[in-house]
Amino acid sequence: MTAVTDQDHTEHADQPDDADQAGSDGSSAESSAGASSAEASQDTSGGRSQEHSDHDPHARVRDGRTDATDAWDDGLIARRVNETTEGNRFPTADSRSATPPAVTPLVYDGVLRSRLEALRELVGLSRTRLDSRTLAGAGRVLDEASARRRLSGQHTVVAIAGATGSGKSQLFNALAGVTISETGVRRPTTAAPIACSWSDGAASLIERLGIPPRLRRRPLPTGDAESQLRGLVLIDLPDHDSAAVQHREHVDRILGLVDAVIWVVDPEKYADAVLHERYLRPMAAHAEVMFVVLNQIDRLPGEAAEQVLDDLRRLLDEDGIALGEYGEPGTTVLALSALTGDGVGELREALGQFVAERGAPARRISADVDIAAARLWPVYATRRRTGLSEQAREEFADRLADAVGATAAGEAAERAWLRNANRACGTPWLRLWRWYQDRGEPATGRLPSRTQADEEATARQRVEQAVRTVADRASAGLPAPWAQAVREAAARGSQGLPEALDELSVRAGVPTGRPPRPGWWPVAVLSQASMTILQFLGGLWLLGQIVGVMAPNLGVPVLLMVIGIVGGPLIEWSCRLAARGPARRYGLEAERRLREAAAGCGRARVLDPVAAELLRYREVREQYGRVVGA
Amino acid sequence: MVTLDVRPQLLDALSALRDRVAAARFPLPLAGAPRARANRDELLAQLDDYLVPRLRDPEAPLLAVVGGSTGAGKSTLVNSLVGRRVSEAGVLRPTTRTPVLVCHPEDHHWFSGMRVLPDLTRVWVPQQDPTDDLLLPGENPARVLRVETVETLPPGLALLDAPDIDSLVSDNRVLAAELICAADIWVMVTTAARYADAVPWHMLRTAKEYDVTLVTVLDRVPHQVVNEVSRQYAALLTKAGLGHVPRFTVPELPESAWGGGLLPASAVAQLRTWLVHQAQDPAARQEVLARTAYGVLDSLKSRMPALAGAAAAQYAAALRLTAAVEGAYDSEHTRVRGRLQSGAVLAGDALKRWRAFPLDCTAGELLDALVESLSALLLCAVTAADERVDDAWRREPAAAAPELAVRDSAADSAEHRIGLAVRRWRRELEEYAEDEVRELDRALAPDPELVAALVATSLLGGRRGRMAGESLAERIGAHGALRLRDRAGRLLTEHVERVLHAERERRLAPLDALDIHPEPQAELIAALSVLQKER
Repeated sequence: MTAVTDQDHTEHADQPDDADQAGSDGSSAESSAGASSAEASQDTSGGRSQEHSDHDPHARVRDGRTDATDAWDDGLIARRVNETTEGNRFPTADSRSATPPAVTPLVYDGVLRSRLEALRELVGLSRTRLDSRTLAGAGRVLDEASARRRLSGQHTVVAIAGATGSGKSQLFNALAGVTISETGVRRPTTAAPIACSWSDGAASLIERLGIPPRLRRRPLPTGDAESQLRGLVLIDLPDHDSAAVQHREHVDRILGLVDAVIWVVDPEKYADAVLHERYLRPMAAHAEVMFVVLNQIDRLPGEAAEQVLDDLRRLLDEDGIALGEYGEPGTTVLALSALTGDGVGELREALGQFVAERGAPARRISADVDIAAARLWPVYATRRRTGLSEQAREEFADRLADAVGATAAGEAAERAWLRNANRACGTPWLRLWRWYQDRGEPATGRLPSRTQADEEATARQRVEQAVRTVADRASAGLPAPWAQAVREAAARGSQGLPEALDELSVRAGVPTGRPPRPGWWPVAVLSQASMTILQFLGGLWLLGQIVGVMAPNLGVPVLLMVIGIVGGPLIEWSCRLAARGPARRYGLEAERRLREAAAGCGRARVLDPVAAELLRYREVREQYGRVVGA
Repeated sequence: MVTLDVRPQLLDALSALRDRVAAARFPLPLAGAPRARANRDELLAQLDDYLVPRLRDPEAPLLAVVGGSTGAGKSTLVNSLVGRRVSEAGVLRPTTRTPVLVCHPEDHHWFSGMRVLPDLTRVWVPQQDPTDDLLLPGENPARVLRVETVETLPPGLALLDAPDIDSLVSDNRVLAAELICAADIWVMVTTAARYADAVPWHMLRTAKEYDVTLVTVLDRVPHQVVNEVSRQYAALLTKAGLGHVPRFTVPELPESAWGGGLLPASAVAQLRTWLVHQAQDPAARQEVLARTAYGVLDSLKSRMPALAGAAAAQYAAALRLTAAVEGAYDSEHTRVRGRLQSGAVLAGDALKRWRAFPLDCTAGELLDALVESLSALLLCAVTAADERVDDAWRREPAAAAPELAVRDSAADSAEHRIGLAVRRWRRELEEYAEDEVRELDRALAPDPELVAALVATSLLGGRRGRMAGESLAERIGAHGALRLRDRAGRLLTEHVERVLHAERERRLAPLDALDIHPEPQAELIAALSVLQKER
């Protein structure tokens, strides 16, 4: 009866009939509600949930099955299990009232709420940077969290999972106190999940799991037991390790939706690789909402049960699952025998306490968030401090200055100024000699080229290299998608940067024409001129004496001439010394102007977009920190 | 009936094939690579541990390997078959960590040497205290084979108790697969609780694929459900096309596994009889041998092309990676040539120097600036090419190989190497200029450094550097200027090419070190066809 059959797909119309039959049969479990009222309501609710099951679980099962037939041709026993007595023996639960009772929705506590909020923000902020596949896990957690929040907070959905033949159904029945799920020696036995709810109002919860109404049950009302487990919704899952693939799909799907899991293992299979590697290790974060029970201890002699239980604890510990020992939160590990009932009471007690706390759904979602955050770790976390260091910025400015040739321009300006100063303050004789020399010298490229404006005066390769280096620096240590975003921002900014620098170096470059002169310059020129005049004066005087026009007086004119001859070069020399400072200042000023203009241009076009991208990353990182809960 | 006749040519072909398989490597992390690596290892193990020794010594004892899931009771079964506790059994999983081979004392020499399972160290001393082993799991006993001799086993038959095929310890899993591959008879043990598990069925399907001699044991079946369970199991086997496989059912008895005791002889009598019959009846023995050996030989027909395909995929991926590198460097080379022609080197600093030359700038400074600008151009080209390669490789799954991720300490060293090359170019250029000036032999010969600077400017400056050429011609004569310029131009092209080539080779070096060639594919197929011909 447990398997979903092909008949079920085709004969939905049968269901109300089945329900009628169930009502009239009045089987053992049908006791909490009157048969006649059930009949009426079942018609309506059956129809309602039929719609639901039309799209959801059946379709999935059907898909799974076709896949399975393709992939496995070894014959699945599950398909040939006698399904003829489908769902007739037991009444379906939670379908007796058309309007479900008022359900108190689940409330998450503040921490979890803020973490979920941060996760939502995080997904929103990163959508443009990360591909949707990376974010799918987080999106799913958000969806499930909000879906679960809308549903009852008074119920705890607990799934019983385990390998084939571990006795899941046996345990299910033992907890329910009635044979709901068929047990048997055929493997695998249970093919579709069955739900059993200890109190009303869980219909929507079970519906979310995609369990059709005909597979929903009520436990045997034993009064005491029922009140102990009030609020529990127990799901019996198919196995996860048989050759029947669709069983595994059922299990994987439902494990993602339930609030807690009881893993049933047996002495034969407790160390199976598939259990530990495929399920327990990835679910280690869910330790607080897991029970691991070692079933079939009746098959173990004496102290062997303790030994096996210890070994099981060791394996769980190796899987990274926190064990709930000594009052610490974690997985509860129990040994029991569903067959003899040994230890079932303990589990019932633990479950009762667990359900009464009503904390499982939130803890489960919290663990889901943990896992989603851990998965996202590589795309958000950095190993070292990120950001653009001051040094990197300066280096970028230096490279741009090199590209526009600021240093060379400054030096050239300095030398030109010095040259002009020397020429202006030099003795006329020296000037004459230089002029004569220049006449003999062939002209170099300087004269015609001075006039033409340079195209592409900026070194393209240096700009490119500067941008690349700064982008590399900025993105060092960032997770790949964000590093990519930073590099893209830099590359976008660098488009048109060389042209802008070209234009700028024309504007901010050394102004053509005569450089400015210091205030002492006219004085120097004047005194140089006066020295020349003194020489002339002395010479003329001497000449006059020789000619005999003037009275012979050798001392004064010679003195004048000597003063002129010695003073001219002296003034030139001192001027040269004095000009060095202003020339240097002038050159530095020219260099600084060019450098600052280039740096400003680079900052506006490249550094600012890069910094904005880094800021966005930092923001996202902060959100991620909140998600992690650190 | 099939018999096993082995010609030396077949053995030769087989060892040639074995060498080819051993030489096949799949270093690039492609989608199929882990699978191919596992297949290769499995095939190699099967050739080394089973096929070659078996064909070489057809008279060696039959080896039956008992394999199955954890807790299937393999050790108990082996113990019960030989009637003695040779392999430890227990309730803690995994129990068997060291494989145990049991044979008749007369057969001991077949297994004590390295004829079969050459990878495993033999130990003869039985482990005294099994708890030691449990307490020291770090001391990996996996690569050890314990050989036990018992009189109760007939000569010509050996039993091997393998570790679990689905063990939590992955080494054990690998070892189990390897051991099973070495068997003449595969004894698959499953239990009433497990017979529908996916893992053993995978093993059964593999056995069917290789068409080996297979026997299944349904162990630990509670009395009350014997009939139902064995019927179900039979139906499953039939459906999987394994209906002809001999099945044996062993009931779960109180003295079975949990106490580590022996099952009564009656419980395993059927299986024992069957095994002994296979070993002692010559016809049955021949059939068992031939079936498994030919099954494995036949399976080569599909497994070798799969390996060859994987090898080809590796080569194709390596080619794609190489092409990405070469494409990136080629296009950067073109770009560099274009830029050299358009005079991009004479820009920025160098251009400012040239504008100031010769009044406010010396020839040496101009040459320095040009050299620096040229190395900036080359460095930019190299890093751009590397970036392109990175981009292209990011889309290639094969580029994730750890060997390829190790880059020589990146851009700094490239900068260093380029700087060296460019400075060498400058030195050679100056030498050329000196030669040219010396030939002039004039009283008013210009300074060689000035000549070098002018040549470099006219060479690297494009249109802007034309003035330098004219000025050079004025100084050393049109003819000399032309000759010098040509020589310097050739030198420049040569150096640029050498730099880019060297950087490309550096980038390709890790890929070349992986040594991926197209030959293995052809060699694998060729070895297979030789083998086919020899059969």
